[in-house]
Amino acid sequence: MSILFLQFILEIMFLILVFLHISKKSSEVVWAYMFQSLALGIILFNSYLDSGSILLLVVVLLVLAIKVILAPLFFNRLIKKNALAFSVSTYINTPLTLIIISSLTFIAYSHKFFPLTNIIPGNHMLLALSLAVMFLSLFLIINRKGALSQIIGVLSFENSLIAFVVFAGLEQSAWLQIGILFDIFVWIIISTVFTNMIYEQFGSLNVTVMNKLKD
Amino acid sequence: MIETITSPIGFSSLLVFFAVGAIGSLLLQKDDKLANIWNNFFAILGSLSGIIFSVLVIITGHNLAFNFGSSSFSLLSFSFNIDMLSAFFIFAISLIALFCSVFGIGYIKHFYKKYNIGVLGFFYNLLIGSMILVVTASNGIFFLIAWEIMSVSSYFLVVYDSDERKNIKAGFLYLVMTYIGTSFIVFSFLLIYKYTNSFDFSVIKSNMALIPSSVKNIIFIFGIIGFGTKTGIIPFHIWLPAAHPAAPSHVSALMSGVMIKTGIYMLLRMALDILQPIPVWWGMVIIIIGSVSALLGVLYALTEHDIKKLLAYHSIENIGIILLGLGSAMVFFSLNMVPLALLSLIASLFHTLNHAVFKSLLFLSAGSVINEVHTKNMEEYGGLIKYMPQTAMFFLIGSMAISALPPFNGFFSEWLTFQSLFQGIAQLQSYSQMVFMLAAGSLAFTGGLALACFVKAFGAIFLARPRSEEVTQAKESDTFMRIGMGALALLSILFGLLSGYITILLEKVGRGFSIFNNSSSSVFISSHQVFNINNGFSSVAPFAIFIGIILTILLVIWIIKYNVNKNQKITISKTWDCGTALSPRMEITATGFTRSIILIFRGILKPSIQHDVEYHDAESRYLPKSRAVTLGVENVYNYYFYQPINKIINGLSLRIKNIQTGNINIYISYIFIALIISLFLIL
Repeated sequence: MSILFLQFILEIMFLILVFLHISKKSSEVVWAYMFQSLALGIILFNSYLDSGSILLLVVVLLVLAIKVILAPLFFNRLIKKNALAFSVSTYINTPLTLIIISSLTFIAYSHKFFPLTNIIPGNHMLLALSLAVMFLSLFLIINRKGALSQIIGVLSFENSLIAFVVFAGLEQSAWLQIGILFDIFVWIIISTVFTNMIYEQFGSLNVTVMNKLKD
Repeated sequence: MIETITSPIGFSSLLVFFAVGAIGSLLLQKDDKLANIWNNFFAILGSLSGIIFSVLVIITGHNLAFNFGSSSFSLLSFSFNIDMLSAFFIFAISLIALFCSVFGIGYIKHFYKKYNIGVLGFFYNLLIGSMILVVTASNGIFFLIAWEIMSVSSYFLVVYDSDERKNIKAGFLYLVMTYIGTSFIVFSFLLIYKYTNSFDFSVIKSNMALIPSSVKNIIFIFGIIGFGTKTGIIPFHIWLPAAHPAAPSHVSALMSGVMIKTGIYMLLRMALDILQPIPVWWGMVIIIIGSVSALLGVLYALTEHDIKKLLAYHSIENIGIILLGLGSAMVFFSLNMVPLALLSLIASLFHTLNHAVFKSLLFLSAGSVINEVHTKNMEEYGGLIKYMPQTAMFFLIGSMAISALPPFNGFFSEWLTFQSLFQGIAQLQSYSQMVFMLAAGSLAFTGGLALACFVKAFGAIFLARPRSEEVTQAKESDTFMRIGMGALALLSILFGLLSGYITILLEKVGRGFSIFNNSSSSVFISSHQVFNINNGFSSVAPFAIFIGIILTILLVIWIIKYNVNKNQKITISKTWDCGTALSPRMEITATGFTRSIILIFRGILKPSIQHDVEYHDAESRYLPKSRAVTLGVENVYNYYFYQPINKIINGLSLRIKNIQTGNINIYISYIFIALIISLFLIL
């Protein structure tokens, strides 16, 4: 695949993340994550085409199975069970959110981060964009009040990290990636159960209601 | 044969004994008796191997440097360097561990069915093994791992008697102080690494020129705080009087006898080996710390009624005396007076060894007494010499040795320390001379007060009449316990009588330092075992003193007997007692004995008196039912040092607490901001 196509896929990941920041419906958030994971699957499939390693193909299939199918299924069940049609609001209003997103993207592309985004000079643009996606994912976790959006933020951060690692040529062995995927799968199960418990305890997925847990 | 013993195989086999002892006693924990025998048997085997190994290393002068395996973590290397100094400390550790383990066989019996003996054996063997690793490690990270194992295993031994709530508290204090000390050590190692790019002691030593002198000074100060905390120098000593009484007595003996000396080992290693050349003021600082620790240590000991606390304070005092020798060695070497530096080092090493012997003996004797009377309060003892005569004799020997009375070992090492200080007074000028003069004065004071303190301790514990019912039920301790104490008592005499030979060996240990390689000697031993310092500056003859004392004692006994028996009619009748029955209330107590000394030093000790009177009738104050007088001593270091620090930390903590909002988003914001800042700083 050409570098332009990969850049296009990464831009989709970036736009999905922007969408995640402004979306108000829980189901939209889950769908957006599913498409972002699909985009990541395409990037990994490109790695498989380059290397021809069967083990890497297994990784791609596992990514598709866990991130594109299983995780959204878990989240949808959570939404249905707790009737969470609408995602809870953000701390910062939408215009200010968009300004911060722009600033973070600018920081990722700034000259200061050049040593990081120029690990492989040919992939400079891809690495800078991956870094921006990482920053936006972290900001998503901070800005959102809902536990579900925060979980999606963590998973999106993980997606962006993999994309960065792939474009920086820092991939480890496929076995390690399979191990990490297994780890993520377990994490998704635990976080879903945990979210359920939060809802049962507090009647809301808004993390601000957990303030009473403060010492 | 000798080559095999002094090889890496010989060294590793002694460590294996402790490992087998530790693991085996855990496996046998269901059977108290078996676990006790197993753990002490292997501790004895390991200690014996340690003694043979170290003595052969010192005699043959065979230095050992080797690695065990290879670590994938490049900064960590399991590398050992066993030179003369390491061998000397292995000897001291093994010697004390040997007799503590023999004592332990009998002593541990009273823990049967009460606590887990397997756990005690596990941490006991781990402690001895880790101490040996500490004094042989030649890599900073490996050293820190061994140091941590030593600290953690000793912590678990301190809190072993967990039924006593104050033991848990003492353990916590010990742990906190240990980690404060360790953090300073870590910081000094990191500073060294920053400039030398290595944690390996030999590489650090060869790259010492790369460290700027200002940074070296910081490393030295952090080293003093870090190692000094473990050693128990004032004001970092607060854990010592709390932890030593809490631990089982044979462990207290090991901790006080040798564990605190691991700090001395590292101070010696850093000051005379790794960080050379050093400025004169480093030595001066060590001398001042030593003087203050020695004097305050003995003063606080005087005020104590708890026998183990009293001994713990005496450890602080003796660490001060050891530091006087070390500090003098540093000053003399910095001023290019190498033979005198070697003399001071010998004094320091000799006192290290002697203190290990007599302090362990005293702790074991104290443990033996506590085992019978079930209290550590000396005011409840009295007259124990009648019920425990052998223990009394061992305690007396230990007391005479620690009070630096000839012909016991403590006298000769203190005498050597005095000589090095006198040499400083005679040969140095201006402020250096003043510091040495004050140090000699402090040492003289310390000696006198230590003697007074042990007259009080021995008198209160063993003489006069029993002050509690428990004393009358006491009986002589178990055979193994007596063997442990007896051997150490014998060593206290032997190390005194053979101090000439020991000095020769210690000079060899001193020459193990590269700075003393070509130094001429300041100590000469004649064929009659007479010590001669600096060509007739002073001399002492251990055997002559011993014979003189024996003859004097015999003569005095004969004169007294002759005079008493001469034409006298012996009448046996009741003591005139003012018409009241004789009781222990008429005896002078430990508190009463030291009251006048405490009052002399009231400026430092700040004694307080509290009277509590209970009346028969709450309304009327004419008929008192009981009166209680409580004498106390203010914790000056707590009041002026720890409390202000505690106040500052608490204030800061309350302010910092405000960042804890309970909101997960805020926490992630902190992480995000920290990440961005870190990236900006790194990139």
